[in-house]
Amino acid sequence: MTLEIQNLHVRTEEREILHGVDLVVKRGETHALMGPNGSGKSTLANTLMGNPVYEVTDGRILLDGEDLTEADPDERAKAGLFMAFQYPATIPGVSVANFLRMAVNAGREEPIKVKEFGRLLRENMDLLRIDRDFTSRYLNEGFSGGEKKRAEILQLAMLQPEFAVLDETDSGLDIDALRIVAAGVNEMRVPERGFLIITHYTRILGLVHPDFVHIMLDGRIVREGGPELADELEDKGYEWVREEVAAGAS
Amino acid sequence: MPPNFVEDRRKAALEVFESEPLPTWRRSGFWTTTVRKLQLDQLEPRRYEPLEELPEIVRQDLGDEEHAGLIVQRGASVVYSHVADERIVVMPLEQALEEHTELVEQYFAKRLPYDEGKFPAATAAFWTGGVFVHVPKDVQLEHPIQVVWLIDEPGTAQYAHTLAVVGEFAECKIREYFVAPDFEGQALHAGAFELYALPGSHVNLAHYQDWGSGEVYDISTRRVEIRRDAQVKWVPIHLGGHLTKQTLDIITAEQGSDMRHTGMYFTERDEHLDLFTTDKHEEGHTTGDTVWKGALTGESRASYEGLIHIVPGATETDTYLQTHQMLLSPKAKGDAIPSLIVEVDNVKASHGGTVGELDQEQIFYMMTRGLSRAEAVRVLVEGYFEEVVQRLEDPGLEALVRTRIAEKLRGAEQQVREFIGERAEAA
Repeated sequence: MTLEIQNLHVRTEEREILHGVDLVVKRGETHALMGPNGSGKSTLANTLMGNPVYEVTDGRILLDGEDLTEADPDERAKAGLFMAFQYPATIPGVSVANFLRMAVNAGREEPIKVKEFGRLLRENMDLLRIDRDFTSRYLNEGFSGGEKKRAEILQLAMLQPEFAVLDETDSGLDIDALRIVAAGVNEMRVPERGFLIITHYTRILGLVHPDFVHIMLDGRIVREGGPELADELEDKGYEWVREEVAAGAS
Repeated sequence: MPPNFVEDRRKAALEVFESEPLPTWRRSGFWTTTVRKLQLDQLEPRRYEPLEELPEIVRQDLGDEEHAGLIVQRGASVVYSHVADERIVVMPLEQALEEHTELVEQYFAKRLPYDEGKFPAATAAFWTGGVFVHVPKDVQLEHPIQVVWLIDEPGTAQYAHTLAVVGEFAECKIREYFVAPDFEGQALHAGAFELYALPGSHVNLAHYQDWGSGEVYDISTRRVEIRRDAQVKWVPIHLGGHLTKQTLDIITAEQGSDMRHTGMYFTERDEHLDLFTTDKHEEGHTTGDTVWKGALTGESRASYEGLIHIVPGATETDTYLQTHQMLLSPKAKGDAIPSLIVEVDNVKASHGGTVGELDQEQIFYMMTRGLSRAEAVRVLVEGYFEEVVQRLEDPGLEALVRTRIAEKLRGAEQQVREFIGERAEAA
């Protein structure tokens, strides 16, 4: 039971950004995808969810063997994929609670009972230490960076997907907020669920310990290893990776 | 025998009506509103007997909401009225001329000159029935005053006049509903509305227009005057009409007065809407906040022009106008223009606006949460209008507007999906 990315080539109107990415995340595993700005991490996350801005020119995305490469974003969500956005959209006029109810119901045959939804929402808000009045605000309208990230993780907790991609959820969070978010993610790390944590920094990996680390550079995964790879990167920086890759290529 | 001030105005207005040609409104060279297809001589004011019960369409729209007063004009006749709160006056304007002559004379047409064009002249010359609302000093109403203008037969010409006076420190909600069932054929509503909010009063005013799919022309002028330290929240809602040409003016006439002006329109099929609103500040130390939002489907045309006008002497005015328009069909054409005339220094006045299509990022975001594209569009458009709907502060009317927005979106689902799909492909 896995999320499989095979030889993925992705382009925008202007240029190719991913030049053949392979990555396998099994359920129960947490993978970290690291890389400098512009290396293609967010492109990979958005492509996994079916953002129409990106075109897959080669390769496949499989979830438990089902080919999702051409699927619409809502089909991917129903298949069990989730992404916490780096820059989530603002949805004026739609409260957090209303939006969450719609999203929860989208994945169910029968609409969730009001009481059950309320209980679930309160539990998860307590887990993420979110104020109760938060849910009556319009989604992401006037939210601080930290509030947006917490709203994303709240959605993750409410939707309980099988595979979750966190796209730079750690960036812009102060250490207290990061701890709360990390605790929430750790709570959701269960054998039935896989995580792909995309980050620029190693900070979050001290709180959410990954099983595997991948380093992306210029649209390719160039290094893979265990958690120790993140430590090495912390010590030596991305320039080290770049030099190593250059040396290997020559 | 009606008082002379009304009869004299009718005579003078009739002369203007007869001498003026049918108007064509042109703006900026490329926007034209014309009534040349209106067969005015085929239309007539139709008189009706009083009704024991409300007509079905009116009952549906009003729901079971309680009211302080309710009055219904069908065609040329007031057919129903009920006053639940004895402190207020809600009656036909014709009757008020007899029973409240002094008060009516003081305010009648004070802000509505009869010589502003052919249709205002027609209204001034031909109005019948009419509505008079008076909320006396210090009276605070819990439930709204509801005024209904009903056209339920093609061939009808309805010349309307509503005069509302809200006394000092009074607080109330006034709603006018403009409704017609779907019918085949032409009809005309030529309306005049005036509200005087006296010092210290608070009025929540709404106009709800839904003329159905018949060929109803609505050419109306509405003016609101706000006196010292009074506040009017005005929420015009346009949900349907074959051709609508309206002038909506809100005037802060004395110091300390405040306007909250929040409107919306949703045009479909081949509807044509042309709105010109003016926020006029005649005195200093007044405040204003205007937001207009529109959405267009089908081959409809909608033009909104919003003007802030600050006259000489009105210093320390603080006002803002924003206008938004959302195109939901490739064949719809829209135009939204905010403008400013500021004839004095030391004021704060600004405007802003957007004209655009649905945001692909927002749609993508919602779809990643499992919503289909059609649902995402529905939620976005409903959310877009929500800011306006909530300003109604009236659960019954809010529910009605939300229901109608949802119905319109369902009706347009196919074309919106194609449009959004094409846009996504192109991106």
